[in-house]
Amino acid sequence: MQKAIDLFYRVLEILLIVLMSGMAIMVFVNVVMRYAMNSGLTVSDELARYFFVWVTFIGAVVTFREHGHLGVETLVAVLGRKGRIVCMILSNLVIIGCSAIFFWGTWKQLPINWSMKAPVTGLSMGFVYGIGFFTGAGCVVIALERLVRLLTGRVTQEEIEAFAGENLTLEQMAERS
Amino acid sequence: EFNDRNIRVSNGINADHPVGNGIEAMQKCLDEKSGGKLKLTAFWGGALGGDLQATQALRSGVQEAVVTSSSPLVGIEPALGVFDLPFLFSNAEEAYKVLDGDFGERMNKKLEAVGLVNLAYWENGFRNLSNSVRPVTKWEDFEGMKVRVMQNNVFLDTFQNLGANATPMAFGEVFSALETKTIDAQENPYVTIDTSKFFEVQKYVTETNHAYTPFLFLFSKAIFDTYTPDEQAALRECATVGRDVERQVIGDLNKKSLEKIKAAGLEVNALSPEEQARIREKSMVVYQKHMDEIGADVVDAVLAELAEIRK
Amino acid sequence: MTLFVFVGSLLGAMAIGVPVAFSLMFCGVVLMWYMGMFNTQIIAQNMIAGADTFTLLAIPFFILAGELMNAGGLSRRIIDFAIACVGHIRGGLGIVAIVAALIMASISGSAAADTAALAAILIPMMAKAGYNVPRSAGLIAAGGIIAPVIPPSMAFIVFGVAANVSITQLFMAGIVPGLMMGFALIATWLMVVRKDKVEALPRASMKERVRITGRALWALGMPVIILGGIKAGMVTPTEAAVVAAAYALFVGLFIYRELTWKELPRVILQAAKTTSVIMFLVCAALVSAWLITAANIPAEITGFIEPLIDRPILLMFVIMILVLIVGTALDLTPTILILTPVLMPIIKQAGIDPVYFGVLFIMNNCIGLLTPPVGVVLNVVSGVGRIPLGKVTAGVWPFLVAQAIVLFLLVLFPDLVIVPARWLH
Ligand code: NA
Ligand code: NA
Repeated sequence: MQKAIDLFYRVLEILLIVLMSGMAIMVFVNVVMRYAMNSGLTVSDELARYFFVWVTFIGAVVTFREHGHLGVETLVAVLGRKGRIVCMILSNLVIIGCSAIFFWGTWKQLPINWSMKAPVTGLSMGFVYGIGFFTGAGCVVIALERLVRLLTGRVTQEEIEAFAGENLTLEQMAERS
Repeated sequence: EFNDRNIRVSNGINADHPVGNGIEAMQKCLDEKSGGKLKLTAFWGGALGGDLQATQALRSGVQEAVVTSSSPLVGIEPALGVFDLPFLFSNAEEAYKVLDGDFGERMNKKLEAVGLVNLAYWENGFRNLSNSVRPVTKWEDFEGMKVRVMQNNVFLDTFQNLGANATPMAFGEVFSALETKTIDAQENPYVTIDTSKFFEVQKYVTETNHAYTPFLFLFSKAIFDTYTPDEQAALRECATVGRDVERQVIGDLNKKSLEKIKAAGLEVNALSPEEQARIREKSMVVYQKHMDEIGADVVDAVLAELAEIRK
Repeated sequence: MTLFVFVGSLLGAMAIGVPVAFSLMFCGVVLMWYMGMFNTQIIAQNMIAGADTFTLLAIPFFILAGELMNAGGLSRRIIDFAIACVGHIRGGLGIVAIVAALIMASISGSAAADTAALAAILIPMMAKAGYNVPRSAGLIAAGGIIAPVIPPSMAFIVFGVAANVSITQLFMAGIVPGLMMGFALIATWLMVVRKDKVEALPRASMKERVRITGRALWALGMPVIILGGIKAGMVTPTEAAVVAAAYALFVGLFIYRELTWKELPRVILQAAKTTSVIMFLVCAALVSAWLITAANIPAEITGFIEPLIDRPILLMFVIMILVLIVGTALDLTPTILILTPVLMPIIKQAGIDPVYFGVLFIMNNCIGLLTPPVGVVLNVVSGVGRIPLGKVTAGVWPFLVAQAIVLFLLVLFPDLVIVPARWLH
């Protein structure tokens, strides 16, 4: 099971690399074309923007799994183990609520996005705004799993430390400024 | 029968635009009809998001109203692309007759089908070209000119077809881009060229009148349907009152803006009637190209109505 | 009252450790519910529409350029260059740190990444030369926070989009204040090391200097491309960002050869992750911004500070104090995102130049990266230099004071920002 989950995130990471490179290449080619040939592909500006939306919302799930989203740990850092666990439970409940609302809102809005076409490519905006399903569901699943482990006492010391903002990696600090 | 209603109207433009006068007049009319129960709260400068985003919010019943140009909405209702077609109307009177008449009603029906009630057609004004390279007196002058246009296929094709290098760009970056000569030219109504200070960084203005894209006063159908018939009627009537004031003010302001542009030392010229005919002829391929996505019946209907008016 | 619901729900969620992005969504949900307009579509639509903006595309590309600058050995060459130029002066390594920080600031937009590169190379050198280590660490931290003030800058992009202000203008207006921060740091540094016994580095020979400068030329070309490109009007900020990334990639792969094709996916992935952390926050903030606007909260606040509206300098002073306080506990991007929609209507009403305000606001937020309890850049220096956080904090305060003085000078004399900005634009 753990292997399958790791593989899933590996695939997501590869997808992030492809999308990130894709949007850089599209915008770069456009700059070059504008100078070399005095013309540009309007398609690539639009598509780059959609890649950007996908990177943002796929990456949001990947970084959420890695405790990458920045928080203010001032208060929880002074709490003891018990206090931290209570805060973690509450915090996961808030995250589950917000992510579920995000998912539900995406569902309710699907018809009006599905019927809207992107101005240049003609792509249905359902594909762009539909990413809310992935992010909403992804965060609900991750937070639910954490909640279950918190309530059954299977939470690890590392997780508690990560929650209190201890032992940040350099990459995580870079993500914060 | 009137209830207390707070109607949020969002706009991409600033409060000093004539739409502000229109909303004021509309509020006064609503106060008289509803005894102060129907209240408009305007949000200017895109404070509640861009026009397209606000329109989507209307469709999902999250926000009451928006005043938006028709161009960004072609992804929602492709028929609106008809107003982007180059050189469709030759003067404001023609536009008023078509919009306030049968053809306008026909478009309103299409909008209702996608969840939008168009209360009235307000005015954005004819779009004109400004540039920093050369006076434009014939279509050949567009050759190689870097023109900022809205991200809209009809506009892109119109300018590319004339030989220009059409570049889509966010409105907020246009001033800097003109100043640093990232782009040579932009196209907007005189009032916008004035209020956005584009004239400070341009040398030439040409009265191309290449497009008259109306403002639509859109209301969320989901919310509109919950209003009483009295409220609905008051909104429709007062939007028309606001429209007349707004058109009047924008007409005056256009003249003032043009004077200001001239006083700033810009060279202003118009296309001669012969050149106008040539450029219109040259642009017909754009009509052909977009006929299918706009709908041949829509294009034919507007051309027929115009032919009738021009008789 | 709506104001208290907004502040209360936001602070409450953040206090129990909910990540800021989710706290913003939560406060949006609470506001909707309080205003009797609960609708899940408000959340969904505003979240995604937030990322669907071409201007914000500059963010991932500048992040990528910064990552490539460090991975490709450009930072190292810049520091070598600064050492060859000013390393031999008394107190020279401190000046080296600031000169290198200024050059790196004109390539990268991220304070943490720049600080990490500087700290990794310079702290061991400064320790060896006999400088007071906590003070050196403090200086490097204070130099690192110049990155978001000198263009390119993610902070300016986020602010520009949230406040609807031209990013090109913000970029040009940030140059002179950023340099002023650098000079203030050098002056302070020379004052505090006056009595220290340290060895200056041997003066590099002319031949050596030419060689090192030659090697650094490729890296020094980057600011020219970014700023020159935008200034000359060849590219928009978004395009400049992608060109900078392409250039850093080329130099790292083929000139310095410190970056390999094998490493590249890791670098791109890290840039993608950093992008999504920042952007997810931006998107969540746009949800609460929509509700703040719809609820007319700025009008409520304007009521409080009505008496100050006619006195712009006093108003700026009060706002800057407020931002300094908020900045002690909150990171750069969240502060910008939370305060911009609230403050901008007030700034406009008071007739304060939005570009001028933007520069001071961002500078102030950068100072917040140095103030405990939450000061990310202090953590970076502490982590990279293996120095306890308390010592770095103790070492940073003279420099913190220097930068606060620069900030309040600019509050008193707005022309110090406005005149050079006009001249550079
Ligand atoms: Na920078
Ligand atoms: Na701080």
